[in-house]
Amino acid sequence: MKAIRGVLLTCDSAVKQILLTMNEKQSFIIEDLDDHHLVIKADEEWRVKRELEAELEKNTYSLE
Amino acid sequence: METSSSDTPSHLLLAFLHSQSQTALTRLYQRPSACLSIFRLLGPLERQIVMNLLWLESVIPAATMAAWVPQDSRQAYEHSLSILSRLHLLPRSAAKLALNSTLKTGLRHAIVGGGSSGSFGVPANSDESHPPPSVETLDAYALERWETILHYMVSSGTGRSPTKPSQAVLVLLQRSGLMASVHGGALQITSLGFQFLLHPPHAQLWELLLQYLRMVEERQMDLVEVLSFLFMLSTMELGREYSVEHLSATQTAMLEDLRDYGIIWQRKTSPTRFCPTRLATTLTSSSPPLPTAAGVTSSSQAQGFIILETNYRLYAYTDNPLQTAVLNLFVSLKSRFPNLVVGAITRESVKKALANGITADQIISYLTTHAHPQMRKNKPLLPVTVQDQIRLWELEKNRMKSQEGYLYTAFASQADYEYVLHYAKQLGVVLWESSPRRCFFGTLEGHPNIRGFIERRTAGHA
Amino acid sequence: MDKPSHLSIVLDLSPKQWHLAAQPGSPHPITLATFLSHLLAFLNAHIACKDENSLAIFGALPGKSILLYSSAAPVDDGDTEPADANTYRPFKLMDSIIMKSITREIDALGEPETEEPIGFVGALTKALCYINRVTTSNTTSGDRGVDPATLPDPRILIISVSPDQSSSYISVMNSIFSAQKLASFDLFYQKVTIDVCKIFGAESVFLQQAAHLTGGSYIDVDRPDALLQYLMMSFLAPPGLRQLITVPTQDKIDFRAACFCHKNIVDIAFICSVCLSIFCSPVPVCSTCRTKFPIKTLQRLNASRPNTTPGTPRPPTPANSLPRSTSIAPQSLPRSTSIVPQSLPRNASNGASTLR
Repeated sequence: MKAIRGVLLTCDSAVKQILLTMNEKQSFIIEDLDDHHLVIKADEEWRVKRELEAELEKNTYSLE
Repeated sequence: METSSSDTPSHLLLAFLHSQSQTALTRLYQRPSACLSIFRLLGPLERQIVMNLLWLESVIPAATMAAWVPQDSRQAYEHSLSILSRLHLLPRSAAKLALNSTLKTGLRHAIVGGGSSGSFGVPANSDESHPPPSVETLDAYALERWETILHYMVSSGTGRSPTKPSQAVLVLLQRSGLMASVHGGALQITSLGFQFLLHPPHAQLWELLLQYLRMVEERQMDLVEVLSFLFMLSTMELGREYSVEHLSATQTAMLEDLRDYGIIWQRKTSPTRFCPTRLATTLTSSSPPLPTAAGVTSSSQAQGFIILETNYRLYAYTDNPLQTAVLNLFVSLKSRFPNLVVGAITRESVKKALANGITADQIISYLTTHAHPQMRKNKPLLPVTVQDQIRLWELEKNRMKSQEGYLYTAFASQADYEYVLHYAKQLGVVLWESSPRRCFFGTLEGHPNIRGFIERRTAGHA
Repeated sequence: MDKPSHLSIVLDLSPKQWHLAAQPGSPHPITLATFLSHLLAFLNAHIACKDENSLAIFGALPGKSILLYSSAAPVDDGDTEPADANTYRPFKLMDSIIMKSITREIDALGEPETEEPIGFVGALTKALCYINRVTTSNTTSGDRGVDPATLPDPRILIISVSPDQSSSYISVMNSIFSAQKLASFDLFYQKVTIDVCKIFGAESVFLQQAAHLTGGSYIDVDRPDALLQYLMMSFLAPPGLRQLITVPTQDKIDFRAACFCHKNIVDIAFICSVCLSIFCSPVPVCSTCRTKFPIKTLQRLNASRPNTTPGTPRPPTPANSLPRSTSIAPQSLPRSTSIVPQSLPRNASNGASTLR
């Protein structure tokens, strides 16, 4: 039995796929639990959030 | 009617009064002005019940009163009775109904006159050299004070430094959680504070006063004196000067605080008299507590100034810097004219607001309450596209949720796994579980307990 | 929502009737002064309920009607009462203004030999006009629309000591129908509720109908010492609240009408089959719509009248002196070219259906 410290991410499956792609570049995922849940390294949380934000931002369009 | 059927009493303050002791409330009810003010804060059904009982000399059987209540409003009626009994206005026993006799005397005095409590404030003798201030002066003063507080809040963290309110106000803002000091530095507005800014002035005023009341005990002030002074102020007349002579020591000490909030006005040279402002005299009514903002006529001020179009453009007929600053929380402002501010609600501006802790519902309710009369012809009032989009933007923000904790995995047997999981569930710390994979995720807080549990178990096995 | 409510009071100030009411010989003696002290407490309670509640008092005096008090009127600083610490000043101001204007009006009456009929209808109509103004203000004047939620909920309380004046039947009924139709653009209520408090005098047929048709309550006060309790229980709750806590209503309503020709209250009448005008005896020409009826029908009807008094119809009142009021006779009648005797309902059980 072991306990691993980490951060549980709850997200929709689209976001999960983006995270998996990001993981290929620089690994941060500890465990892929199911379609909506991932455990990642605690100290990578903020970087992942920032990068995901930027990635999602690419998919929105503004008039200005 | 909705107010009486909902679970909460009709006013924030009533909930606070519910938590007070019977002795304190009875002392409060000795003052007719307090009786009148509390009566006004009650919901319509509670008021009617009180009035039905007020003029009776004897107790009446509860069934007699209940006979007037139709079957389908029984629930609302019972709810009203419970509010009244929690205020110790009615006895808890269900068989007989009679009003608290102290309140009965006090409220009767308030309505038909009489008594000698002096609870409506002793007017100051007219002073030839210092005529009382005009209503306009008082309004301008109250507005200036109040907007100083709000403006300070809204512009904290933007780099600009507006006039600072007094130290007492800052403490109050900090204690109520509306502002917080970051790393011991300057005060910054919190997400609670952002939400506060979007509330109507009446609610804002009471929120601050309630915080003031909560701090009363640690300042070793008498709560009953404080409350009765607030109620006295609420029944005073705008534009009249009152004398401080008959105030208790606690109440005299309050003068300074209330002056900082703009609730009362005092001439620097004559500290023996004071004037309530509109903020004070409208405490128990629902008329607007703040007078006209500079340059805007009272009617349009009270009725709202915002026009929102389906193309997300927003026109605000105002030149009030505070209103502009509040709008700036969730609108990207484009151009400013002498009486008009033009902007647009954009994804960025709303995301900024959401990041500050403001919710989509608060933005929508602010836009609704301040909508221009022209907008009132629309049904629904705000364009549906804009409302929906604001809500969608809020949902977008919540696409990913993160919780720190521990992943427990690699259990030796299914029984082992279930045994630990059962314990963790009892603690209520399980965030995610999967029986086939034999692992679960628990919160950070639960970890020491779970670790201890496993260690004890392993030790027992060994 | 907890809406402000507006109360218009129509106060019957007939000196003769109040004098009679105060006589020890009257069934429930009460003096005007005692009554006013109860009324003022009630009015204070109305304002106490909500700071935004408004009030207007219309006095019905012999031969005229007058606005005695309006909470919307600016307070005249000339007659301010000295402020004191033991009373809530708005109450004191209001009470003193009301008392002053009542005293002024009654003093101005002098002591005439005969008393003119009181201007009750005038006062009622003014009250309706006032309500129309406060509930629809700003909606017609262009873009300055007001949120309907902030407009007051209106009602009228009639305090009556005088008997019915049958000559005012048509105008009273027209006022009732106006109250019913005084709909605001807000669909939550369609009418102005009229409450009636009968302090002295015989049951009033017209006022019973007024209360019934507008969903108000009609109270005949038979214990003047408990007047305040009557007022609080029955008339303080705004109409919206009365669904939650009901108020006393009358169980019996006199639905009789007054004829258009002699203003008598009638049990059996003759109804014009074209415009539904009511007459106590058959007429050759309807005074309202000028329909001519065949002489044969007249003879037949006269012959069939229940009483045996000769049926020479008195000359009808000139038509132009009568208001055009096709709406005042709510009875439904089969259409025929003759005037038919119509038995008018006498009580609520069979009357309610025909009147709605």
